Amino acid sequence: MSADGAGVSARRVGGHERVTGQQEYLADIRQPHALHVKLVALDVARARIRSIDTTAAEQVPGVSLVMTAADLPQPVPRFGPQFQDRPILAVGETKYHGEPVAAVAAETKDAAEAAARLVVVEHEVLPAVFSVAEALDSESPLVQEPGMRPDDPLAGTNTLREHRFGWGDVDTESADLVVDNSYTFPIVTHFAIEPHGFMAAPDGDGIVIWSAIQHPYLLQKMMAKLLGMPLASVRVLAPDPGGAFGGKQNAKLEPLLAFMALHTGRPVRLILTLEETFQAVRRSSAEITVRTGFVEDGTLAFQDIEANFLIGAYVDIADRVVGKSSYLGCGPYRTPAARILARAILSHTTPSTAFRGFGIPQLTWAREANLDEGAYVLGIDRLELRLRNLVGEGEAFIPDDTPADGDWAQSVRKAAELIKWDSPVPPGRGRGLAIGLKSGPTAALSYSTVRLLADGSGVVYSGTSDMGQGARTIFAQIVAEELGLPLDRISVVMGDTAVVPYDQQTSASRSSVIMGTAVLRACREIQAQLSEMASRLHGIETSQIVVEDGVVRLPDGEVSIVEVLQQGLGPLGGELVGNGEMRKEGDPDHPLGGSAAFFEFNCAATEVEVDQETGETLLHRYVTVSDVGRAMNPIQVVGQDEGAAIMGLGHTLMEHIILDESGRIQNLGAIDYRIPTSNDLPLELISASVENGDGPGPYGIKGIAEGALLATAPAVAGAVREATGAFIRDLPLTPERVWQALQERP
Amino acid sequence: MMPAAAMAMAFTVNGTVRTLEVATHHTLLDVLRDMLDLTGTKECCAEGECGACTLLVDGRSVNSCLMLAVEADGSEITTVEGLASNGELGPLQQAFLDKGAAQCGFCIPGQLMSAQALLARNPHPTVEEVHDGLVGNLCRCAGYQQITEAVLAAAESVNR
Amino acid sequence: MNSFSYVRPTTVDETVALLDEYGTDAKLLAGGTDLLVNLRSHRMLPRLIIDVKRVAELTTGIEEADGALRISATASMTDVIGDERVRRYYPALVEAAAVVGSIQIRNRATLAGNVCNASPAADTVPALLVYASEVTVIGRSGTRHVLLDDFLVGPGETVLERGEIVTAINLPIPSRPAGATFGRVTRRRGVDLATISLCCMVDSDGTTTFAYGAVAPRPFLVRDHSGLLADRGADERARAATLREMIGHASPITDVRASAEYRQAMLDVMSRRALDGAIDRLAAA
Repeated sequence: MSADGAGVSARRVGGHERVTGQQEYLADIRQPHALHVKLVALDVARARIRSIDTTAAEQVPGVSLVMTAADLPQPVPRFGPQFQDRPILAVGETKYHGEPVAAVAAETKDAAEAAARLVVVEHEVLPAVFSVAEALDSESPLVQEPGMRPDDPLAGTNTLREHRFGWGDVDTESADLVVDNSYTFPIVTHFAIEPHGFMAAPDGDGIVIWSAIQHPYLLQKMMAKLLGMPLASVRVLAPDPGGAFGGKQNAKLEPLLAFMALHTGRPVRLILTLEETFQAVRRSSAEITVRTGFVEDGTLAFQDIEANFLIGAYVDIADRVVGKSSYLGCGPYRTPAARILARAILSHTTPSTAFRGFGIPQLTWAREANLDEGAYVLGIDRLELRLRNLVGEGEAFIPDDTPADGDWAQSVRKAAELIKWDSPVPPGRGRGLAIGLKSGPTAALSYSTVRLLADGSGVVYSGTSDMGQGARTIFAQIVAEELGLPLDRISVVMGDTAVVPYDQQTSASRSSVIMGTAVLRACREIQAQLSEMASRLHGIETSQIVVEDGVVRLPDGEVSIVEVLQQGLGPLGGELVGNGEMRKEGDPDHPLGGSAAFFEFNCAATEVEVDQETGETLLHRYVTVSDVGRAMNPIQVVGQDEGAAIMGLGHTLMEHIILDESGRIQNLGAIDYRIPTSNDLPLELISASVENGDGPGPYGIKGIAEGALLATAPAVAGAVREATGAFIRDLPLTPERVWQALQERP
Repeated sequence: MMPAAAMAMAFTVNGTVRTLEVATHHTLLDVLRDMLDLTGTKECCAEGECGACTLLVDGRSVNSCLMLAVEADGSEITTVEGLASNGELGPLQQAFLDKGAAQCGFCIPGQLMSAQALLARNPHPTVEEVHDGLVGNLCRCAGYQQITEAVLAAAESVNR
Repeated sequence: MNSFSYVRPTTVDETVALLDEYGTDAKLLAGGTDLLVNLRSHRMLPRLIIDVKRVAELTTGIEEADGALRISATASMTDVIGDERVRRYYPALVEAAAVVGSIQIRNRATLAGNVCNASPAADTVPALLVYASEVTVIGRSGTRHVLLDDFLVGPGETVLERGEIVTAINLPIPSRPAGATFGRVTRRRGVDLATISLCCMVDSDGTTTFAYGAVAPRPFLVRDHSGLLADRGADERARAATLREMIGHASPITDVRASAEYRQAMLDVMSRRALDGAIDRLAAA
């Protein structure tokens, strides 16, 4: 067992840089000859662009280029991870508040800003849709040109896709009680503390692109296609993001910057303001109707869910969010019959994209709140109701699909114990408890290379993006564990497609499991090579040699890896190189294109007090318990779980993007878009992990870091309900909203 | 002096006197990052709400995005780069590392500077005082509990 | 930010001359926590920024003189909160100043700046009103003292004429005991702008004064001389009616932070709480 290996709260790799200010985020990278870019956007949502006059802008000293759609190849190239629908710059019309219409490149930031203000865009505001009701109204304008989906029966509507899942027959399944309610989840935005930033520079016949992107290789592929270059000519440099949460998964402005770089022949640099970042990424909002059928003993008869997700003007990855999350809409419960209809509905708003939880928080909110309602009507304890319906380990909850991969009831009982569920609730307070379930990746591919250098230090190459979840540290710890190296003798190289082998993406909490396995396999290759060396050196069969715990075990003793290495390498020196691959093939017959590699299961519980005169909610205690398989680095797990819980409190209590009637974002910026601060913490925040070593990753790891966000809202709303009797079905539970609900109490 | 759009200024940054000619509309944050290459201090909201740009001016924590560089003429500035001495991490930096307080790390320079100022005026803060002292530093990774633990641990280590 | 000229006068005369010359093309810079936000958003596009932090007459700190506490124009919120005399005489002002932003903001933001910015939601103004604050103004025509209640006109508007500058905020040192509390409603417990804010003072002679913020074009004062509100034992319906009448002077609006309805309801809730607190503080005084 290595001192820095599995299960150790090893010092974060990259931690030293973060506490000294040396960590280079994108905006810190020196690019001395770069032109500074400033975007031009309209202060309206949807508008027809009549003309763009760049003359005054071009005359600002220092301006090199004012680019509009007319300067791009025609037809203007479009991109997107699911559909190639987003143009590099707005073409003919803007479709959301903040869509870039033009971009200036200039020698200084001041010049770029000044010039951007001088670009005159003659435009005409057009009627638009900003809500589910508006979007579904057949009289409403269409967000997407019908010609973009020629063979799609939905093409003449704003419904991009309908996802239908289910089993059994909901309409004939008999139930003693049917609870039917509608819930809403607001538009929220990622608000990573690092605003988005991008750079691009011509590189011989190719191009270099800098972006703190979670999926460098997908960006590389997309850019190669857009630019008509071989993959080998497109280099993506991806510094660690200063927070991403899904908002930095897919290309946003990299294509624009690439064309500007090629056009000017110079490096170009764009750092978005926080306001521009808010306009660039958000979570899908949702209106979800849940009909839950119960037998009188509290067991489920059926779940009938209709979820309308409001996505943005361009799809980005939002349709996948809708499909993947709604598939799990019924949660980890025994559900005899289910019907799920989920729609991805286009609107003239910021393109919604991946955001921690990937649609599950929205569905969990509705489903769990509805279960609570059923429990109240039936007179059954809300914890008991859940335990009664929760599947056991190895039990399927979606027919013919991956069964429960953990003893989930254990997490629930732990949460109940930590919130003291069975003890009397103090007067004036209420408790809530809710369950969240999300699937990990359904198809995956990661490669890793590990090098064991002549002095016994190591380098591990991984294409994962470390955005705070601590990926670097995890991979270093795996190498530490497998090769017995101390952490400070391991270097982790990430974020360079020219140097690091392929990784599909960083998402779905996949990296510890998928990339971790690739790293582990690379280490195993090195172990095999060490075994060969030892065999050669000592004249023993490799079958009699075991490489583990940093040593090479021979029948008659053990030798340190370093010693075998140095003897084995001989006077010429050299190194050992190991490669690992972890591949999970998709399954074209599966509704999601593949079964889940693992699940993230979480139980959230809380005890609150509500100031019934002002509607303010005070969280006395908040508990989150996740089923993690194995905590590879416990302190990092705690940090991620607590962080996810607090982020969940954001959309539960205070976060919502407010649009005016014309679709403009009213609370654009940090003054009026409120996220939790250090003074918004629960008085007590407790996180715990259940570790049964039953994950598919190295040492029994499962993916983590999204779980603790999933069930925050229903846990809090359930507690508010017990404390006040008010059943609130819309988030966030701002003091005003709670107060309003209290006024409306019968 | 006469009104001017550019000005010569002199100030001490992390113990070193720097003299510069700056545009008067550039903020202290701009100048530190773009002219002095001190990129440890970060830009996020640019309107004094997030604290990512926090540094010390004459010992007081301020949002450097809300100060014109020229306002710092004659002042002593401490940034995150000035917390370590001779390569040795300061007690707060060490505590942040030990307690796992840095996740993505982007807010951390600001948190460290606010914590530095807090401990300078209140060497034995309570949990509430740490929360209040750092309430102007947003962390979206929401590592607040570990950050608080780190500040308390640093306070203890200094006072031992 | 657009570029501008910057100047750093050292005397009030210089400052007044510059203001006179440039008029609305110049903006004063003290703490900068409001100004820089406005400059960045281009809400303000001055040709000249006048940094007053080196003006001798404006940097006298906090002094007691002639029965008043004089808080000079460059005194920051941190200075105000930490001053022992402010803490003793004007506890509600300390409470109000303590919620202006974060400590980073309070280290720069000045009390005078908060007043001159004249936001309807300025946190310190209700407390300053209740303590009968006065503003010292210097201009071409000399010095004048204006009651704060007369100084504020509307959102972003004061009675300052061209070429005039506020040099100090003066608070009369209380001659008799009073109890005062500050309260406000916000959207989160962390740093926030006020949905509503208020200050309540109960005097030993039975006068109750309320000042309200964020519920009218400017913070305003109302007084009850009947003694009813100050007396917990008085008839409850009469007290409620009096309170209702006081609150009736407010005209809350719906904006991105809250609805008018909620603000109206919170006026009632917070007024009762502030009144209770003020009565308790008077009793303790």
